[in-house]
Amino acid sequence: MKNLFKNITAVIFLLLLASACRKEIPQINNPQDTISGNFSEVFDSFWSGMNNNYVFWDIDTTNWDRVYKEYKPLFAKLNLYDSTDVRKGYSYFKEMTKGLTDSHYDLSFNDDWLQDSSSINPAYQRKLASPSYHDPISIFHFYDVITTNYLDPGRKRGFTNTERGQYVAVSGTINNSTLYFFCSGFNLKTLFETDTANGVKTVTQYFFDKLKNTPNITGIILDVRGNSGGALVDLDFLIGKMINKQLNFGYTRSKQGNGRLDYSPWAPAFVTPQPDSRNITAPIVILADSWSVSMAEMTAMAVKSLPNGHFIGERTWGATGPLIDKKFYNGGQFSTDYINLAYTSSLMLKYRDGKNYEGIGFPPDIEVKYDESAFNAGKDPQLEAALKLIK
Amino acid sequence: MKFKFALFAAFICLNAIPKRTLAQFEIGLSGGYNKNSLHTSAGYRSFTEYHARNGFELGIPVRYTVNEWLAVQAEPSYIQKNYELTRTHFFAGIYQKNINSYIQLPLLAHFSFGGSKLRGFLNLGGYGAYWASSRIKGVMANVFNNGPTIPDGQQVYNFLQLNQAYNYNEKYAFDNRRDRRMEFGLIGGTGIEYQLNGKYRFFVEGRYAYSLSDLQKNYMIDQIPRYNDTYIVQIGCLFNIRNIFQPSQEKTAK
Repeated sequence: MKNLFKNITAVIFLLLLASACRKEIPQINNPQDTISGNFSEVFDSFWSGMNNNYVFWDIDTTNWDRVYKEYKPLFAKLNLYDSTDVRKGYSYFKEMTKGLTDSHYDLSFNDDWLQDSSSINPAYQRKLASPSYHDPISIFHFYDVITTNYLDPGRKRGFTNTERGQYVAVSGTINNSTLYFFCSGFNLKTLFETDTANGVKTVTQYFFDKLKNTPNITGIILDVRGNSGGALVDLDFLIGKMINKQLNFGYTRSKQGNGRLDYSPWAPAFVTPQPDSRNITAPIVILADSWSVSMAEMTAMAVKSLPNGHFIGERTWGATGPLIDKKFYNGGQFSTDYINLAYTSSLMLKYRDGKNYEGIGFPPDIEVKYDESAFNAGKDPQLEAALKLIK
Repeated sequence: MKFKFALFAAFICLNAIPKRTLAQFEIGLSGGYNKNSLHTSAGYRSFTEYHARNGFELGIPVRYTVNEWLAVQAEPSYIQKNYELTRTHFFAGIYQKNINSYIQLPLLAHFSFGGSKLRGFLNLGGYGAYWASSRIKGVMANVFNNGPTIPDGQQVYNFLQLNQAYNYNEKYAFDNRRDRRMEFGLIGGTGIEYQLNGKYRFFVEGRYAYSLSDLQKNYMIDQIPRYNDTYIVQIGCLFNIRNIFQPSQEKTAK
């Protein structure tokens, strides 16, 4: 019996020793609560915010641990109250983020010495360096040239200025049977539901009336070239008017925990038909280009998923991840004491083919490249390709 | 045919083992209920909590008695180590249950004390386990499912009013960059056992399994570890091997 208790005591002692092998749980602080008294704190809060909130670590090629090891000592040498060091810090931020896949990504600062510096936008820098780079098509091409040279009389055009910027819309018919709708950004539902009259609401109402009342629609052209994206609800509001059953076009997932690879399962991304919808069987063509961003790209994905859907133009910008306030999906954009906003997607989106087009851009069915000379001559080869397909 | 041959081979082997040694081996069945929780942290994720979940366990205990108070026990088992991630307040209704299946092998020192039939015992040792499969079941908000428009001036009480619920129940696809499927840990248990007819030993035991392996590989700086903590209540029965294969000799020995 004496041996029994001696042995039990020895084994318990060994087990207690072994129990200390567990790792400590690190304290992860909200980057927003950091006091940026020096550059080490500035770096730590930013690095940690990205470490826990960025949603593309699954596919991103940036080695964030290497960034930590390389830049932490560099930031530690900088003085927050020296303007030369602040500029150097800015260049470090640019280097650290240059390879990020997220094409929504935009980093802006609260530092007074950086007020004359542009925000850091890696996707834009990549776009500028691309051999196929071109400026966006002028808004006047849609507002004036298409209206005058392609649309039938009776067409509508309008614009509305909001706190978020200006929204422009154009709609009309071509040969009385093909409907055309252009919008420069997605805020259609909100503007449509406002009590006061506004230009975009008038154009949208015109398009919906034509959609409902035109007897033999031969085709619909949705033009999102140069569209900077916007409200996700517009997907149902616009495309939902043209279908009579749910249209699945992809899948989304969000962060679920603090780990870089902690994700929710994939949930279907779909368009819900609207109560007053008309099932369009004629071709629906979406025109998009390399300046079609975010919701414009999701709209292109949705249209391409239709059995009668076609996408003509160029590969899109490549910012396909939905973006809403980080409070909702446990990830995405964040701020720190020093960083005004790390603007980044809240969720990942993959197209129904299982591929993720973030950072790559969504490809067209029929590629028609930007042709500056044609645009200058009042022609639109992309729109003409859509009309040819509809015929 | 193969089964019959294996049975015959086992019979021959067992006959080759000295009878005294054979008498020291017991084999049996055990099963029970468990409650597993994750030892981790949700960090600064707002309205996000981890909760314990129930599961069950089935095992085949094999015991070799060394002396009156010490035995060595192995217990290959199937065990669930489940847990739940829940969001609260405005996000109530969003959750994920993780149903994790492990094949586990505890190796225990079995210390017993008390009378000849009714004895108390203490099991102390460690285990190795393989995370064989996992299923996730839950509700998440779907950003592309807006649901009906909320009228102006009407309060919103739940996030699922804004983005409708997506229900899922699917096999979890392991990510070999993150998921560590081998687990090692410590086990401590205590209980009582009752010997019947010198052949059967029934037992009731309460156990605690303390994992020393993070469920994730070391794949990132500032990684928050996740450890399984499992409380188990189980019952079981052990059979003396000599009595199974040589019942007549048992009688003779008496």
